[in-house]
Amino acid sequence: MFKHETIETHAGWLIVLTLLAIGVGGLVEIVPLYMIESTIEKVDGVRPYTPLEQRGRDLYIREGCYLCHSQMIRPFRDEMMRYGHYSLAAESQYDHPFQWGSKRTGPDLARLGGKYSNEWHVQHMTAPRSVVPESIMPNYPWLLKNKLDISDIADRMRALKMVSVPYSETKAEYDANVSKFGKDVAVMLDINRAQENLIAQAQKGNYDGNKADISEMDALIAYLQVLGTMVDFSKYDEAYFVKFR
Amino acid sequence: MNEFFMWFTRPENSKLFVLLLFFTVYGLILLYVFTGKKRSSRLESYKNIPFEEGDETAPQSKENEQ
Amino acid sequence: MAETSTQAAAQYNYDIVRKFTIMAMVWGVLGMSVGVYIASELAWPFLNFDIPGLTFGRLRPVHTTLVIFGFGGSALFATSYYIVQRTCQVRLYSGAMANFTFWGWQTAITLAIISYFFGYTQGREYAEMTWPIDLLITVTWVAYLVIYVQTLRRRSQPHIYVANWFFISFILATALLHIFNNWAMPVNLFSLTSYSYHAGVQDAMIQWWYGHNAVGFFLTAAFLGMMYYFVPKQAGRPVYSYRLSIVHFWALSFMYMWVGTHHLHWTAIPDWTSTLAATFSIMLLMPSWGGMINGIMTLSGAWDKLRTDPIMLFMITALSFYGMSTFEGPLMSLKSVNALSHYTDWTIGHVHSGALGWVAMISFGSIYHMLPRLYDTKLFSLKLVYVHFWLATIGIVLYISALWVAGIGQGLMLRAFDDYGNLAYTFIESVSFLYLPYVVRAIGGLFFVIGAIIMAYNLYMTVRQAKRDQAEIDAKLAAKMA
Repeated sequence: MFKHETIETHAGWLIVLTLLAIGVGGLVEIVPLYMIESTIEKVDGVRPYTPLEQRGRDLYIREGCYLCHSQMIRPFRDEMMRYGHYSLAAESQYDHPFQWGSKRTGPDLARLGGKYSNEWHVQHMTAPRSVVPESIMPNYPWLLKNKLDISDIADRMRALKMVSVPYSETKAEYDANVSKFGKDVAVMLDINRAQENLIAQAQKGNYDGNKADISEMDALIAYLQVLGTMVDFSKYDEAYFVKFR
Repeated sequence: MNEFFMWFTRPENSKLFVLLLFFTVYGLILLYVFTGKKRSSRLESYKNIPFEEGDETAPQSKENEQ
Repeated sequence: MAETSTQAAAQYNYDIVRKFTIMAMVWGVLGMSVGVYIASELAWPFLNFDIPGLTFGRLRPVHTTLVIFGFGGSALFATSYYIVQRTCQVRLYSGAMANFTFWGWQTAITLAIISYFFGYTQGREYAEMTWPIDLLITVTWVAYLVIYVQTLRRRSQPHIYVANWFFISFILATALLHIFNNWAMPVNLFSLTSYSYHAGVQDAMIQWWYGHNAVGFFLTAAFLGMMYYFVPKQAGRPVYSYRLSIVHFWALSFMYMWVGTHHLHWTAIPDWTSTLAATFSIMLLMPSWGGMINGIMTLSGAWDKLRTDPIMLFMITALSFYGMSTFEGPLMSLKSVNALSHYTDWTIGHVHSGALGWVAMISFGSIYHMLPRLYDTKLFSLKLVYVHFWLATIGIVLYISALWVAGIGQGLMLRAFDDYGNLAYTFIESVSFLYLPYVVRAIGGLFFVIGAIIMAYNLYMTVRQAKRDQAEIDAKLAAKMA
């Protein structure tokens, strides 16, 4: 007969049964999430980041912004009044890694895009207390001084493509993007044109107010300004989103 | 019958399924562990292992044989 | 007695245990100091000094990595190597491999904190290490598993003592979590940057499955292993109920893996995962308290030890904090409570009542017990252990009460409405409110660090005294021979 002593005297049994006990939970909770149809809403507008925005996102991660700012608005009255429509799963479907955060030492940033001007962001990032006296955010003056490293942008996009972000390299992939996102967006997702796209967006946007070169500030603000702006909520009925909750 | 098995495959049912599974298994473990005088004292005897290392004094309470 | 202890030192591999113990103290003092520093940055933001490497965002992973993996990890390596040898009555398998785990682990910690300073991170909480460091950790961990299992297999004691089950479960679960959570695509072979394999919802689930089980298996199961050996040894009586420990072990191992999603209540994940996690979080109270009762009741009939033995005081207080935070945890995993507590400092306070109160206190107690035995000597000063105990306890109480005020206060402010249905407070008003609690928190942390420094001094003097005594004996022997 199988006794508990069998486990206590055989390391093999102990290992197998322990693996079994710890394995079930993760399997049952995580695997179903890959049945995407019921997990992620189908909404128009959500697209992968442009090369400049993606570089901005890299910097957001480098500086550890996620440790004080969340990007996940919960469906509560106060949060929707303060930050905007609650976040959808679809809105972070191209986020590698996700940046929902776990602590709001500063406010949520999920719908920061378009709320403040580029000039405000530059000033706020360089010296937060000059615009919000009670702020406890660190100054980030180096973002304005450091030139953005764009040498490996194609590699970065290729790596993201490997983890299934639909950036395009071949003609067929490009065409698929045209039909999925429209021509304007598809051009920006083309890895072959990554560097020129990045430079063009930085110069056209002139996020840091300095046209001479592309600073890290350019990239970070380009990213912050697109946060939460991709979905046009006026086009959807609230009841549609509730199905996915 | 097929309908019965399909019930287990739906993610929204996993909660109930797992709870049932969990409570049955743990009920059985509890029964196993805490019933039977002989089994109980046998299981309890293993708690003295840390005091059988040989280079230190034995525990003050020697409620178990061995 | 002295003779048999020397035998033990020769029979067992104590050298590796000593090394890990020393590093646990080094990383502990360093990591806790960084913690006090970043806590102060929140109260006095000028402390960021416009230096990239000193900003909160880059130092916070340094703090968490040092205390969890540097201090906690090294303490676990040390105690698990000690316990497995003594309860199996056999020497640790392969000294060379054990040394490899030591250097692998310490290198990983060192590289990690240097890379955070320069901004190289994966951007995943508690798993910020870049991919080459992750690979190093993987190799080290496999070696750890091999050593542990091989030592178990060579044991001369027929039974595997309960402490070892917890360590096995910790090693296996950590391996599983580490591998799946760090699945990522490097930008290229020479870049430290990588992108996670998963995105959005799935990534969030994987990360918090990792994040909470790092708490469950790294910071709980493994330290319970410590508890199941050192509390009975220090008390001089066997654990309260071995049968309870069987139930405790299986229930804990099974249930922890379900609860990670309670970090994602009300987010864009499907509701059923959230409810499932909350249900299991509540049920987890049973095994948690089972373990606590088993530990504390070990002392039943010998409560007077609490008056005379400061090391016992550390262990029992640790168990009490364990009981408290495993009650608070399920409470905070209720969706209604979580709506208020999530994103606030209440969470940080909760983590620290577990991390300082349980993890650090039980480690301190265990190290105080173990170190003199490693060097075959007596502790330098029991008085200093008392001083350490009171500093640590006062520090924790200050810390968690400050953050209760901060978290609940901010949570209430942010959801308050005025008579016209508008938001009563702006976000920045809630930040101003946090100033005082943040100051008190930093002071509480400072108390705790000072306690840890006193402990380091006490241990240093103990080792020095042991070495001096040994030198004296050697000299006498030499004189006799001559």
